[in-house]
Amino acid sequence: MEITREIFWNIGNVRILIYLLGLVPIIVLVFGLWKRIKLWRLGKKDNRSDHVWHRIKSTLSYGIIQIRTLEKAYPGLMHLLIFWGFAILFLGTLIIAFQEDVTLLFFNYNFFHGGFYLSYSFILDLFGLLAIIGILFALFRRFFLRPESLDNKSEDFFALYWFLVVLVTGYIVEGFRIAATRPDFEKWSFAGWQIASWIDVFKLDLNTLKIFHRLSWWAHAFLSLGFIGYLAYSKFLHVFSSPLSIYFRNFDPIGMIKPIPDLENQETFGVSKLEEFTWKDLLDTDACTKCGRCQDNCPAWQSSKPLSPKKVILDMKAHLNEKGSLLLQKKEMNPEKNLIGQVILEDELWACTTCGACMRVCPVLIEHIPKIIEMRRNLVLMESKFPSEVSLFFKNLENNYNPWAIGFAIRADWAKGLNVRLFSENKDIEYLYFVGCASSFDERAKKISRALVNILNQAGINFGILGTEEFCCGDHARRIGNEYLAQILIQQNIETFKKYNIKKMIVSCPHGYNIFKNEYPLSGYKLEVVHHSELIFDLISKGKLNIAKNHDSPVTYHDSCVLGRYNGIYETPRSVLKDIGSNLKEMERSRYKGFCCGAGGGRMWMEEKLGQRINQIRVEQAQKTGAGIIATACPYCLTMLSDGIKEREIKDLQAYDLAELVEQSLNK
Amino acid sequence: MPGTWILAEHKEGKLKKITYELLSLGKKLKSKSGEELCALLLGSGIENLADQLGPYGADKVYYLEDEVLKNYINESYSKAIVDLVKSQDPTVFLGGATASGKDLFSRVAVRLGTGLATDCTNIDLDNNLLKITRPIYAGKVLMEATIPQAKPQMATLRPNLVEILPVDNSKKAEVIKVKPELKKDDLKSFLKEILKGESKKIDLTEAKIIVSGGRAMKDKDNFKILEELADAFGEGTAIGASRAAVDSGFAPHDIQVGQTGKVVNPTLYIACGISGSIQHLAGMATSKYIVAINKDPEAPIFQKADYGIVGDLFQVVPILTQEVKKLKSEG
Repeated sequence: MEITREIFWNIGNVRILIYLLGLVPIIVLVFGLWKRIKLWRLGKKDNRSDHVWHRIKSTLSYGIIQIRTLEKAYPGLMHLLIFWGFAILFLGTLIIAFQEDVTLLFFNYNFFHGGFYLSYSFILDLFGLLAIIGILFALFRRFFLRPESLDNKSEDFFALYWFLVVLVTGYIVEGFRIAATRPDFEKWSFAGWQIASWIDVFKLDLNTLKIFHRLSWWAHAFLSLGFIGYLAYSKFLHVFSSPLSIYFRNFDPIGMIKPIPDLENQETFGVSKLEEFTWKDLLDTDACTKCGRCQDNCPAWQSSKPLSPKKVILDMKAHLNEKGSLLLQKKEMNPEKNLIGQVILEDELWACTTCGACMRVCPVLIEHIPKIIEMRRNLVLMESKFPSEVSLFFKNLENNYNPWAIGFAIRADWAKGLNVRLFSENKDIEYLYFVGCASSFDERAKKISRALVNILNQAGINFGILGTEEFCCGDHARRIGNEYLAQILIQQNIETFKKYNIKKMIVSCPHGYNIFKNEYPLSGYKLEVVHHSELIFDLISKGKLNIAKNHDSPVTYHDSCVLGRYNGIYETPRSVLKDIGSNLKEMERSRYKGFCCGAGGGRMWMEEKLGQRINQIRVEQAQKTGAGIIATACPYCLTMLSDGIKEREIKDLQAYDLAELVEQSLNK
Repeated sequence: MPGTWILAEHKEGKLKKITYELLSLGKKLKSKSGEELCALLLGSGIENLADQLGPYGADKVYYLEDEVLKNYINESYSKAIVDLVKSQDPTVFLGGATASGKDLFSRVAVRLGTGLATDCTNIDLDNNLLKITRPIYAGKVLMEATIPQAKPQMATLRPNLVEILPVDNSKKAEVIKVKPELKKDDLKSFLKEILKGESKKIDLTEAKIIVSGGRAMKDKDNFKILEELADAFGEGTAIGASRAAVDSGFAPHDIQVGQTGKVVNPTLYIACGISGSIQHLAGMATSKYIVAINKDPEAPIFQKADYGIVGDLFQVVPILTQEVKKLKSEG
């Protein structure tokens, strides 16, 4: 007996019929996808067609290898099984179609036999089984584990059931065929073989077997073809939309906010309507698979605030379906639903700390923060609606270029009695130390700048400060949405940088680091920016600091979101801590999963009236490590953590900046 | 005979301090222009207040009485005032830069088609023209201005700046009762109820003295000792709190002083158990005198304080209360 099988065995000549039947779900699928594409195209222009090679590579690693999905073991493995099962079975079907309708039909060439047939049968049976295991994993998760991140709606179950039934009926068809024909080599189709032996128990005659085979074949055919049509209208839409969202991803650092170009001549600011989002923003809403990882890592959601990044995306999607469909028919929405206030609440927008955890963990690279900032921009610049306490922050920045209503004339007073030179009085300075508002004015944060000056002086770094010519960097104003104020501050700083032709900068505040490094170039000033943790690391490794390894107490390091997730600086500060002899203890949420201190996104200047205090949650996480010191590298994190320690009345825990700890370890 | 008009403000059956300040200012203007000084009083059943205006300098009181004027509502007040101003044609019309004054005068000025100088720190006459002084650029610069074309010339005066002149009890004002033409049905807004915030004391931003507590208060009930100190100081004293105290639930949010709370500017600020984080300082650093009581001599508040007491506030505050009482009783 030849090792192969007849493709339409026991079914008859239905080739044309199957293709005609198959055409229906494919038309349904194409129609569904076309409608989604039209909906996305309601958005504004955004050029995402550059860096083609980068985009392809990125789609391979995030879309095919799924490196982000795999960051969580259970759902990662689960998805991998389903994905590869689905992919290999689809590929297998394509191979059969190729043989039947191309090579055999036109060239009378049959490759579907012998060793190829056996390995094909084995591989397809294996991957079908893996897919079933994956689906059972998924069902078990939804039925019994029920993680908070999953919605568990009936459509989620329905999609899994349908897929499962398609797979199982496939095996049943195979089982009846093997039971009826029993060629020995079909042992390679091990799953079908097993089912055939179960069918044998019933001792059915050949005709009955053939009837059952034919019935299950048609059932499988209809379910499979129907499934194709169902793809575009179910959560399986992500099979198409997620790779697209990954391909058209943003390559900017997480959390980077671009300036509004040509601000003076804009007539509207930010986004207040669905159609003011970019097409990529709208595509993102379809790319979301509702996995809920963003929500699991969102400090706002974890502290019982109304914001969930997932909810924002899904609410936008519901609005796209509702309003977008009407817009496609050139109809008005009546009554109009307001994007801000009805679809997405103002409290949700203001709860965001722009920490970037959502964007960092999203398996399909959805960009949450830029959407939130665009809506904030609209609230601030068009509606003048923002938490009332923020108006004082704006006013202080406008008047004194710092957040606290302290006269700008005393900005350099922290440096009194230290060996610090001013740019206005010296010509040969190499590095600008941009001190930042906190370390210039806040008594606690001044200890950071003073410690850093001692470090720089011991290492013989040629640096200076701008003194009263230094203005707020504009980071917080931009993230609150006051782009106008941010650009005023940015332009003023740039003029000063130009005046002194500044090329290298040291920053002790990650917010400054980020905006100078990533966003000032977009406003026309590029310079080399180094964060003090990087510089200290460099100085230690070059042996320029006389370190006594005397700091052997247990320390936990709190990642500043802006330094860590935004700019990928996780290991450098940790190395510095090890270099001074610290015994590092990691918090559960650290590095890319680091939990925000609560001050980001301008939250520093707002009351935290809803939910629990984020800083208190964070210090409790630190307390669990048993460390006596929380080290950080951001003055705002330092304030929030110190406050959290006091509020929680935690004894034996203190917060320090990295620079302070290093300075304490210097042999002077 | 046109005159210099001022608007009398009252609350809960009493004239507000700004009214006396406006009358004292009006007397000064009258000495230069010679025009009669008239006070405008709106309300219902407050004839007694009308009589109190004379001794402070009013020659004439227009008392607009109507049930709908019982409480301040922008719409009814502005309509009644605009009608009267149009019929009497005063040269100058002044009010207080208070919450209701700011609200009311802007609308009245628009209705009269005249200008308005808001939040003036000084108002004088120069060649029979109103010469106003007001801060601009967030107080960095004072500007002086006249409004020659305006009729009437309108301005609002910042409270707590003009010294109140001695009372002349022999002086009586002519009280002219006016029934304004206000139909209840034409009005769109009414006052149903006044809901008071939790804080019993006067508004923080108006207080002359603020006694403020921080996290070291340890408990809500301990704020009693601050209230005792505030009571000893008497009228014009308010209780404040730091964000830490509010977060810990010791005090309501509406008395929070600081960056994200209220910005205050009292003559005396007593910080009890407040470390003085920059967020707190941002709300009170411009106080005229700052007294800090704190156990920790390193607390940043001592950098800003005029007088610092290093010690336990639970010991220091009661002593302070006793001493204040003693001084007050000695007169």
